[in-house]
Amino acid sequence: MQQRLDRWAERASRGLARRTSRRGFLSAFGRVLTGVALVPLLPVMRGSQSIAAEPAAKAATTDPNACEYWKYCAIDGFLCSCCGGSSASCPPGTQQSPITWIGTCHNPADGRDYIVSYNDCCGKTSCGSCFCNRNEGEKPMYRLSLNNDVNWCMANDNPNYHCSVSVVLGVAGK
Amino acid sequence: MWPRVTGAWLAFLATLAAAAAGAPPPPPLAAEHLGIARLPAASPHWVWVFDESNNNETDMRLYLYDGDAHRQLGQVDTGYWPGVAMSPDGRTTAVATTYFSRGSHGTRTDVLELTDNSTLSITGEVVLPPKHAQTIPLHNAAFSGDGRFVYVTNLSPATSFTVVDLAKKAVAGEVDTDGCVLVIPSGPRSVTSLCETGRLLTVNLDDAGHEASRKMSAPFFNVDKDPIFVQGVRTANGIVFLSFLGDVYGVDLSGAEPAFAPAWPTMAPAERGKWRPGGAQVLALHRKTGRLYLQVHPGGDGTHKVVGTEVWVFDSASHRRIARWPVDVKKHGGVQAVLVSQDDKPLLFLLTESSDLLVMDAMTGRSLYAEPKLGQSSWYLLNP
Repeated sequence: MQQRLDRWAERASRGLARRTSRRGFLSAFGRVLTGVALVPLLPVMRGSQSIAAEPAAKAATTDPNACEYWKYCAIDGFLCSCCGGSSASCPPGTQQSPITWIGTCHNPADGRDYIVSYNDCCGKTSCGSCFCNRNEGEKPMYRLSLNNDVNWCMANDNPNYHCSVSVVLGVAGK
Repeated sequence: MWPRVTGAWLAFLATLAAAAAGAPPPPPLAAEHLGIARLPAASPHWVWVFDESNNNETDMRLYLYDGDAHRQLGQVDTGYWPGVAMSPDGRTTAVATTYFSRGSHGTRTDVLELTDNSTLSITGEVVLPPKHAQTIPLHNAAFSGDGRFVYVTNLSPATSFTVVDLAKKAVAGEVDTDGCVLVIPSGPRSVTSLCETGRLLTVNLDDAGHEASRKMSAPFFNVDKDPIFVQGVRTANGIVFLSFLGDVYGVDLSGAEPAFAPAWPTMAPAERGKWRPGGAQVLALHRKTGRLYLQVHPGGDGTHKVVGTEVWVFDSASHRRIARWPVDVKKHGGVQAVLVSQDDKPLLFLLTESSDLLVMDAMTGRSLYAEPKLGQSSWYLLNP
């Protein structure tokens, strides 16, 4: 998987570099290429969006099929855990989006804030189960790396959106 | 169902009574001829309702609805996460969208489809580079001021827009927007985009649709502390935006570069941060009277997409609140979208989370009609 993501990232970055100015390329790269494997390369994002702590703590549950589950503090779409996957895996026969956006959610069970990656699962039409729309720390589309209105399957071979996951990447820095 | 059954029984009993009295039976119904309904003349009280078709997103659509006759007039199919634009003369709808050759999968084709609004038939198409932005329909596609070009937002995730020359029915080119997004037309040949730094990028095109010059504005809002919704509403000389905390940002786009009016609050100090605008499409403006409509709800940070429980009306000249109109949320759900017609007897349209379309007198707030469940997940409204 790591190799595949690396290959994709290389292809995408070369493509971006060809199509955009250097400044545009660097800014687009820094903002957008925040896939699971790439986030550790972007320490600037750590701890930057812990707005979610208060509301998430109030509503958090331990049920990954509920919108109020703590990891879903800014998820917008169908929960993959209701569609044959889990809160951190895509359903069979779909493909994960290599690009995504990240946020910070508060886990009331251990009192920590975690960086999470909101990946979409792609290649089939909408799952249709467990629709959620939470927006703690979410920003409009001009802040692309913090936006959940765009189709994060956009760069997949098949960009059809199926469902969304929230993958823990690590503890947010203070 | 019950009244119809009752009526049928009454008719049946009347026929029996007539037969018993010796009267001849009524003549049979005349044969019908299958035809195609024609649209009546366009009305300012028509509204276009965009259905995201949440459970089957490759099948999004626009419904055309008559706010006076209280009925659906027709439909335009819009594919997968389209940009939708109305021509300045209101005669054409442009849909920039994606189709897959095998329904949910297969080869991706992005295309701009043009529909004649007097017949709702597709009159032409232009195939696009396969990277149009698959996101909400606001400012995703737009006509140039003179109707010659259509601009289509791209996101691959590199940001740009495609320029379509409608006279040549061909792509004229692509303009890199340096990380800025969406297409807001100004003047005959200018396109303004929103940037991560709180600035506006304005690109001026030549008569061939190619970039002639560009200008980045100064920042005019604080992206981190109080971002603006991407939805802007057209004013006499430009556009007006609303921030998450309810501040109004007017932008004059009539000059060589954008000019920013001082922001003004819709929330009183005691309301600020406790009430806020929210939903999918938060703002409407009746240009002639300057009346500004926004749906609001009680809520804190992170509730900028929570549906509205009231509509607040402001006079954009004096900045005073004219009215608060509560919505029957229990019956219809909260408000996702607001739109006002631009005529002298304006209608206010509210679209709720249940896809109910509420029709109101925009001057008095009087409820005129409620159309239940107009579509599956209809959360945006458009008019020319």
